[in-house]
Amino acid sequence: MKGPFHKLIHTPLSRRQFLRYSAATGFTTILASNGLSPLRAQGTQGGTLVLLGHQEVAGLGPNDIAPTVQATVIYNILNPLFIVNHLIELEPILAESYTVSEDGLTYTFNLREGVKFHDGSEMTAEDVKYTFEFYGNADNGSTIANYFLNMASVEVLSPYSLQVNMSAINAAFLTNAGTVPIVPAKYHSEVGEDVFRTSPIGTGAFKLKGWRAAEFTELVAFADHFRGTPKLDGVRLEVVPEPSVRYVALITGEAHSAVWPLLVEDSLSLDGDPNYRVIRTLANSVKHIPINNSLPQLSDKRVRQAMMYALDRQRIIDDLWNGTAEIAHSNLTPKNAYYYNPNLKRYEFNPAEARRLLDEAGWLEGSDGIRSKDGLKLGFTCTTITGDQARRPIAELSQIMLKDVGIDMQLAEAPVASILAGMREGTMDASLFNWTYGSTPEPDPSVSLRSDGGNNFSQYRNPEMDALIDQGLATVNPEERRSIYHKIQEIFVEDVPCLYLQFDQWINVFSSKVGGLPEEVLSPDPVYWLAHQFDLNG
Amino acid sequence: MLANRQQTPAQQSQSSRAWKRFRRNRIALVGLVIIVLLTLVAIFADLLAPYDPINDIFRGMRGGAPTWEHPFGYDHVGRDLLSRVIYGSRIALLVGLSSSAIAVFIGVIIGAVAGYFGGWVDEVLSLITDSLMAFPLIALLIVLAAVLGPSLSTTITVIGATVWARYARVVRAEVMSLRERDFVVAAKALGAFDARIIFKHVIPNVLSSVIVLASLQIGSIIILESALSFLGLGVRPPTPTWGGILADGRAFILRYPHICIFPGLMIVITVLAFNFLGDGLRDALDPHEKDA
Amino acid sequence: MSSYILFRLLKGLVVVLLIAIATFIIMRLMPGDPVYLLLGEGQVQITQEQIDAIHRRWGLDKPYHEQFFIWLGNMFRGDFGDSLVRTGVPVRQMIFEAIPVTAKLNLFALGLALIIAIPLGILSALKRNSLIDYITSVGSVLGIATPNFWLGLMLIVIFAAELRWLPPFGLRSWKGYILPVLVMATEEMAIITRITRGAVLEILPQDYVRTAKAKGLGSRLIIWRHILANALLPIVTVIGFRFAFILSGTIVIETVFALPGIGRLFTDSVMRLDYQVVQSLVVIFALLVVVVNLLTDLLYAVIDPRIRMS
Repeated sequence: MKGPFHKLIHTPLSRRQFLRYSAATGFTTILASNGLSPLRAQGTQGGTLVLLGHQEVAGLGPNDIAPTVQATVIYNILNPLFIVNHLIELEPILAESYTVSEDGLTYTFNLREGVKFHDGSEMTAEDVKYTFEFYGNADNGSTIANYFLNMASVEVLSPYSLQVNMSAINAAFLTNAGTVPIVPAKYHSEVGEDVFRTSPIGTGAFKLKGWRAAEFTELVAFADHFRGTPKLDGVRLEVVPEPSVRYVALITGEAHSAVWPLLVEDSLSLDGDPNYRVIRTLANSVKHIPINNSLPQLSDKRVRQAMMYALDRQRIIDDLWNGTAEIAHSNLTPKNAYYYNPNLKRYEFNPAEARRLLDEAGWLEGSDGIRSKDGLKLGFTCTTITGDQARRPIAELSQIMLKDVGIDMQLAEAPVASILAGMREGTMDASLFNWTYGSTPEPDPSVSLRSDGGNNFSQYRNPEMDALIDQGLATVNPEERRSIYHKIQEIFVEDVPCLYLQFDQWINVFSSKVGGLPEEVLSPDPVYWLAHQFDLNG
Repeated sequence: MLANRQQTPAQQSQSSRAWKRFRRNRIALVGLVIIVLLTLVAIFADLLAPYDPINDIFRGMRGGAPTWEHPFGYDHVGRDLLSRVIYGSRIALLVGLSSSAIAVFIGVIIGAVAGYFGGWVDEVLSLITDSLMAFPLIALLIVLAAVLGPSLSTTITVIGATVWARYARVVRAEVMSLRERDFVVAAKALGAFDARIIFKHVIPNVLSSVIVLASLQIGSIIILESALSFLGLGVRPPTPTWGGILADGRAFILRYPHICIFPGLMIVITVLAFNFLGDGLRDALDPHEKDA
Repeated sequence: MSSYILFRLLKGLVVVLLIAIATFIIMRLMPGDPVYLLLGEGQVQITQEQIDAIHRRWGLDKPYHEQFFIWLGNMFRGDFGDSLVRTGVPVRQMIFEAIPVTAKLNLFALGLALIIAIPLGILSALKRNSLIDYITSVGSVLGIATPNFWLGLMLIVIFAAELRWLPPFGLRSWKGYILPVLVMATEEMAIITRITRGAVLEILPQDYVRTAKAKGLGSRLIIWRHILANALLPIVTVIGFRFAFILSGTIVIETVFALPGIGRLFTDSVMRLDYQVVQSLVVIFALLVVVVNLLTDLLYAVIDPRIRMS
């Protein structure tokens, strides 16, 4: 029942691996002193790019593209029509061009010709149609069906062009549906989704060679790739949950880059080191404390506003994040310059104002220093993900700041599955997450701010917000969209559905051995999707 | 000679002989002294700790290295580590002793009853013991803590209620071979009550191995608590516990190794002290000692 | 004897069944729903229909008792089912991928520990209060007193980050086993040395040993046979114990050293509420422990003939 590419491998130590391994064990110095750099030798042979992830790669199909680590390997095996690239531009990959009708209800895609799947067959419009229809249908177990919102039908016009008809406007269609990786219709329909996500075949520059979810994903170059034979022999993603250990692997030369960041301090220590290229970008996601708005003690927006005044967010950034973050003043990242609203109300650190608001709302301080109203204590529990030592200090510092104005925030830890369920179902009070409330370039926050949003962890319900979100998605004109999203940001800042703290600087470190990296990077994840142009000759 | 254990003057002189032997054991005395000191530190933590272990966060001192004012340095949030380690001794001793007490109580009784009576009593009790032993401990702790909600009392109860099986099994095995021995058979023949035989003859004879096991157990329970905190299921943060500090420092082990070193050392010292004490007690209480 | 074994096996099955029921109940008591993880953490909109569809697909919509019996029935046929979170991957495959790592770790560690610990324990008991005894005692107490993950992290700092002799993580070559095996063996060694020493000390003053001693040097062999035979009882107990701790014991180590063994599969699965994987693993390990317990008790009978099998 396994696909042809699914093999459990036990490769003997190759010369290349030996060289790479010896680099970590002290052989380097001997070889280097003979003028023979092992890594250079590796480069001329192609070499294997070694990347480090923090969590297991659960699957390799289009359903699995959301987590960064999985996207890293998936987008090297499979290609979508478009990607939102490292410059946050919509870049055609399998599509050559596209047109949208005036009314925004018809998309026509022209495909690149002569693109081969790993099994040698050619990619055609039929494959795109199949992909869209399969993953657009939640009944197929698709978890990304909402990407295809309002898609009515897909027509194949020729082997290299197709037309998508919409029942209503979906302004996010290109950035959502357009970036879903294309699967080969024949193979996928034969083996089914379950097998496909364990042994995918795509048009990518690399083929799956070996995969053990909790261990590694190993890819080998696909010589017939449409953008040319990759310079690398392969890409290997290792699962290393411990950030310190990822750092050690980087400094010992065992790995070339960590897909998931190191500790801030470790990343900064490599900044300026000529052996590394450190790429800093501003995150799309806001680090925030989602708070359950449906709790009686948190339902008054003055209480939530007071908490914003009570938090010294600059101190959190300085003390715990080494200054590598920006205070959040909106749900949208300032990186999304077009939609970002710079004229929003700001919550500067002001405990006196916090106390005033709480008094005004009727929450009065008791003898224990905790406020209460009608016998109800002003308290809640913030549950952080078990083992999330990197972020938990933020909750610990916030706890003290909130206590200072009479709010009792208890701390707890729980497994991630419990938190995801507890927050979504509203059975938990609060947590700590990095999450997008609208991203770049697409500012739509429906997942996290719409009343029925799957990631609406704050149980935020505002009909006005819902209407604006729908209006935003149904509007094509960018100017009109901008004023809608400016309004959304205003309501967000006024309502404070969650305690929004900061936009982190995402710090990605690459070994300077890695050649072919783009000069300018605004978004880090797509850099790893460029492995077809990388080499190890640096 | 084993059979003659009774509350007689001879017994008293036996225990004073044991104390003499114990006093001669310098390592055991060191253990005792350390434990007494630790207990004092735990009791007077408020007076001894130079700073508040939770609320005194020093600006910009995250992971700060040890200085004269802060001999253990700062933790990953910027709190004085010495103060946190001092307060941590409270939790360590509390969890270690309370959980052990629970475990010894349940384990010895179940083990003794099972081993002594044999038959269906043994079968049922062994079934429970075996089931518990065959259950992966950490898994059980993880899930129980998750269901009950992590807290100090959860930690103590959950550890105590799960580690007793070891005592039960060892005690049962010893009692099984004991019950065929002359003195038990004799007591039975004389018509003594089972409960009396168990408490007078059987339990005292397995006590030395229980003490050895307990001396190891307190240590492993303190380690188990740190493992639970390591997995985020121990006492709730930001309450200072050695295990918790260790877990916090674990993420920063290369950058701020001092965070992990001190609570780690404290655990080692505490566990060592209990083990030294246990060893000394064992040697002192060992009835064979006088023959050697 | 054979009827005793049969009886014990039957009892063992009851134990496994009890554990299966307990695990099933406890996993369901844990707050949360694996479906949410399955649906991803990113920009994913989830409708109730989607959740229902996934529940239906994995039979999570059925009443609990029905779910339990379906699972139990499948287990009896050797079908562990498929992972919920890693959709479509058979649990059996996940376990087979992970077992070699854990098995090797434990065998190497236990082997290393036994080779060093038993002679050391006997020696320090025979030469009581000698320098060797003190060093051994202190060493074994230190070994027990050191939390294994702390030891592991300290070794990573020294041997991987500072000296760069050994890889910090992973199993790309045999060298990757050195640090984790060392850490695990330290603990085993400490315990086994201590137990061996204690056991030998118990026996030394006993009549038959003294008799054997009194017979003179020619009976040294007898002494050793007596000592070893009697010391084996607690040693076997300890090793039996350790078996039950394979899973618990390696969980932490596999996390520290990023080793893809059973321990990590287990914690990951618990954290993600991957019921199928957790249940299967617990039952498999329960079976293993039951068998080892039986073997331990049989060994008891062989070693200590005073225990009769009824």
